[in-house]
Amino acid sequence: MGTGAKTGATVKARADLALNDEFLRKAVRFTTERLRNGKKKATDEHGNWEEWRERGRQIRLHTIAHLDYYLNLFVNNARANGVHVHFANTAEEAVKLTLDIAEHAGAKSVVKSKSMVSEELHLNHALESIGVEAVETDLGEYIIQLAGEMPSHIVIPAIHKNRYQIADLLSKEAGYTLPPDTTALAGFVRKKMREKFLEAEIGMTGCNFAIAETGSMVLFENEGNARMVSTVPKTQITLMGMERIIPSWADLEVMATLLPRSATGQKLTMYMSGITGPRRAEDADGPDEMHIIIIDNGRSLQLGDPEFQELLNCIRCGACLNACPVYRHIGGHAYGSTYSGPIGAVLTPSLNKNIAEWDDIANASSLCGACYEACPVKIPLHDMLVYLRRRKVESGNGSMMESIGMQGFAAVMGSSARLGGVLRLGKLGQKLVVRSGVIKTKLGPLKGWNTYRVTPSLPKESFRDRWDTLDQELKHGLKQMDPTMQNRMEELVKKREQEEKQGKGGHGHG
Amino acid sequence: MADTHKQWLEKLEADSRAKQEQFMNDIAAKLRHPRMALKPQHPFRGAPDFWNAFEWSVEERIKQFTDNFLSVGGHVARLETMDEAKSFIVQKADEMSAKYVVRQNQPELDALDLEGALPASKVSVWNTDSEQYWRARAAEADFGIVLADHAVAYTGSVTVLSAENKGRSVSLLPTVLIIIIPIERLKTRLGEVLATFDEAGHDHLPAGIHFISGPSRSSDIENDLTIGVHGPGIVYALLVG
Repeated sequence: MGTGAKTGATVKARADLALNDEFLRKAVRFTTERLRNGKKKATDEHGNWEEWRERGRQIRLHTIAHLDYYLNLFVNNARANGVHVHFANTAEEAVKLTLDIAEHAGAKSVVKSKSMVSEELHLNHALESIGVEAVETDLGEYIIQLAGEMPSHIVIPAIHKNRYQIADLLSKEAGYTLPPDTTALAGFVRKKMREKFLEAEIGMTGCNFAIAETGSMVLFENEGNARMVSTVPKTQITLMGMERIIPSWADLEVMATLLPRSATGQKLTMYMSGITGPRRAEDADGPDEMHIIIIDNGRSLQLGDPEFQELLNCIRCGACLNACPVYRHIGGHAYGSTYSGPIGAVLTPSLNKNIAEWDDIANASSLCGACYEACPVKIPLHDMLVYLRRRKVESGNGSMMESIGMQGFAAVMGSSARLGGVLRLGKLGQKLVVRSGVIKTKLGPLKGWNTYRVTPSLPKESFRDRWDTLDQELKHGLKQMDPTMQNRMEELVKKREQEEKQGKGGHGHG
Repeated sequence: MADTHKQWLEKLEADSRAKQEQFMNDIAAKLRHPRMALKPQHPFRGAPDFWNAFEWSVEERIKQFTDNFLSVGGHVARLETMDEAKSFIVQKADEMSAKYVVRQNQPELDALDLEGALPASKVSVWNTDSEQYWRARAAEADFGIVLADHAVAYTGSVTVLSAENKGRSVSLLPTVLIIIIPIERLKTRLGEVLATFDEAGHDHLPAGIHFISGPSRSSDIENDLTIGVHGPGIVYALLVG
């Protein structure tokens, strides 16, 4: 798999790479702002957004809580419609099934529309290993496929490429030089893809929603490539996460209200397609054979887990990415996995069940809660990030220095005498490092903090030192203010106000 | 070969059915309840009540549909009769010198007699000859002409359903798409159209249900909007009646 920018070992290393890439940062900021503003405008215009969010959340909660019923119903109905339904517990099983279908279809090429699940499975390389060409047909996905990279945004995968880089990639494919002009580049892709659609034996799609009561699968898209891959080739394979279910078409109205507005600020994507089985015998287009592969790949680990079950409510809109201050700065590749942003930071360790390996991406968040505010189905992502950090520590994967530090903190703060002693020692010790009232040294534990900031020094007399005096004053002096004292204080206030008017203000202390 | 392919599919189905039980039992166990055999109460089905009560007048629906469709780069014409629709199509075909036209095989479109009105163009009628590779006929077409099954004002969308006489490719592969919308099929909300699919049930749904809300578009290159990436780049919605 082209792992793209995942060259650094940790989120921090990858984020450093991203922070050095000026174009990437600007592009990510511009795109996320565009999408975020689009969402805000669309949700304001639609109105009652909180009620719609709550309704969306309720529908998702209900479906997941009864997933065995609804998924089973979907499977039975899809089968009755003539679909070949398969189950895959793991990514490997899903890949094996796909390759088996491709071999029996005698496929030389597979055209794919955008599917995050397929990214999860690293399917393209598996197909190529048996000599089947896999072609991403979504414009952005095609670009990053040519570049051998991973998507950096769930909705706009090639957010990190500029038109010159794209022109270079496409020119190589074309065999002649294409101008760095959007219309010309898109025009080339349209022509090239037309040939691919018509010659491919298999079309492969993801699945935005699956409707249990009719066994239909629903796709949202703007380009028309998902319609192409589900209309033109003889065989269709749909990869579907086991949690994509909603009960009815009536529920789809709520999802169709939430998803496009949250993703791009659209009232509806240019195409929304509901596909119910392969082509009917008398139809002249549509696939002859349709397969749906239902994939677990770590999803069921969230079921019954009170802290993480709501993760399965996600409708993959990307609104949390656009809202996240961390994502805006470091971009998608720094997360080092298929899913980026706040949802990726929670989903990746949860799906992989290897918190230790992905522990650092749970730290790539400021816990500000903007992701929760943005989420159309109200997933408490920021809480989940805290749970993840806690589990990491509980499982013994915390940082040893952090544990020692925390134990030390507890010991010092647990006794007022001990704290007083430590502060007195600190006041003596800091004489070595305080320069003009602040500490700037980057020695030892202060390195991380002082690289970008300074540490304030301990004051000569602390609040704790003054507490006894203050306590006395509060108990006696302030009960009834002596009139002369009151006059004196009022005069002081007047004097200060005058000084401020004359521009002598400022509250210096010490 | 046919037999072995069938056998292979049968084997896959047997595997799938065996695994289905295990898969569902595993989900139920994780959710800590016995396997659910009965339909659960679903008190939050569909849109909120206040929304279901919402409806626009015909004039408002026309206005909103038009505004929405124009805002995404589509074109709209408000026409009184099917004759006007015919003249509109003939004029556009002439303007753009459309050589190949493909249309659905529906009586309303038969009545337009485009074959007679466009002598310079090759007009194909979907699925009228079983020897044809119809996907290729649609792919080469300059114009695709369809009749909408439904339309939604609030989202500016048109719904087309597949059938023997109505190809999915006709609204997808041609360069220009012309959709005729009989005005009485234009509803206010998406939910009004979606409800018809719940009512139909799985054994009465067509293979393809497609909502089209404008021309094919992408912003994948530097956020720069491109029209007509895969599907039709020029879309006319003709509101008739």
